[in-house]
Amino acid sequence: MPTLDVFVHWLRATPASEWINQSTWIWPLCESLHFMGLSLLVGITGFLDLRLMGFFKRVSIAAVRDLMPYALAGFAINVMTGLVFLTGLPEQYAHNPVWWYKMGFLLLAGVNAAFYETTLAAQVLAADGTGDTPRAAKLVGLVSLVSWFTVLYCGRMLAFIGDAF
Amino acid sequence: MTDLFAWIEGLALATWARESPSIWAYPTILTLHTVGLAIVVGVNAVVDLRLLGTAPRIPIASLRAFFPIMWWGFAINFASGLLLFMADATTKSGQRVFYVKLALITVALVVARVISKRLHQQGEAATLRPLAALSLLLWAGAIVAGRLMAYL
Repeated sequence: MPTLDVFVHWLRATPASEWINQSTWIWPLCESLHFMGLSLLVGITGFLDLRLMGFFKRVSIAAVRDLMPYALAGFAINVMTGLVFLTGLPEQYAHNPVWWYKMGFLLLAGVNAAFYETTLAAQVLAADGTGDTPRAAKLVGLVSLVSWFTVLYCGRMLAFIGDAF
Repeated sequence: MTDLFAWIEGLALATWARESPSIWAYPTILTLHTVGLAIVVGVNAVVDLRLLGTAPRIPIASLRAFFPIMWWGFAINFASGLLLFMADATTKSGQRVFYVKLALITVALVVARVISKRLHQQGEAATLRPLAALSLLLWAGAIVAGRLMAYL
């Protein structure tokens, strides 16, 4: 993929990339933030997913949704710190298939959430607290839960697959 | 003590965890440690945020249902953490930041236990706010200490 290589070389030569690589503290700082962000994201999103799947019925779905801004904050932290990693070592990520799997499952999680918000959320919230969630909502919850844990799995494993890092 | 840690590191299980080229050895153990982290810290974050006043429509009493999930996550991390320690016992036992991490986790678990006990009592939610804030700080600190083990 020559276009990708051009981009990788360009990114690696930027002053930002230089700065990230010369700093001794930016990498561990961003890694720590990345772990905090994923905890918020997986913890809160996982709660909503399990609720959609039919667990924790004592809590209304609307109530769980009130936590979502914190999950989005966790996601924002991880996009920003992830961009720092990518800027620092673009060749390690761009040439690692596991990183592309991670991006794929990230996209799946996003499409799944968008599907839920646009087609199911209104119906689910209207029936909130009156009993079981529809089968489609259960499936959305399961797909979300599996996608996020797969994103996490790929993220941690990409250091060990191929000749990365 | 150094002899003890060298002996641990030489055990077949420790050697396998450290040296096996299998994807199921070190990489999977480390990944499980991250999965457990997400569960433990994620569940605590949900409970702590609720106690601090976020999402007030979530009934306080319902938070109790989360603690078994947190303990399962902790079980994953205790087991995977033990293997990671065994694999590099001589190095890790000499790292001050490792003991900082263990201390932060121990206090955080005690705080979680106190919170889960006090959730049984009615009208305690407001008094649990300082503990919830402390819990968030302790887990954030444990994450930083854990990360720094790879650098210091």
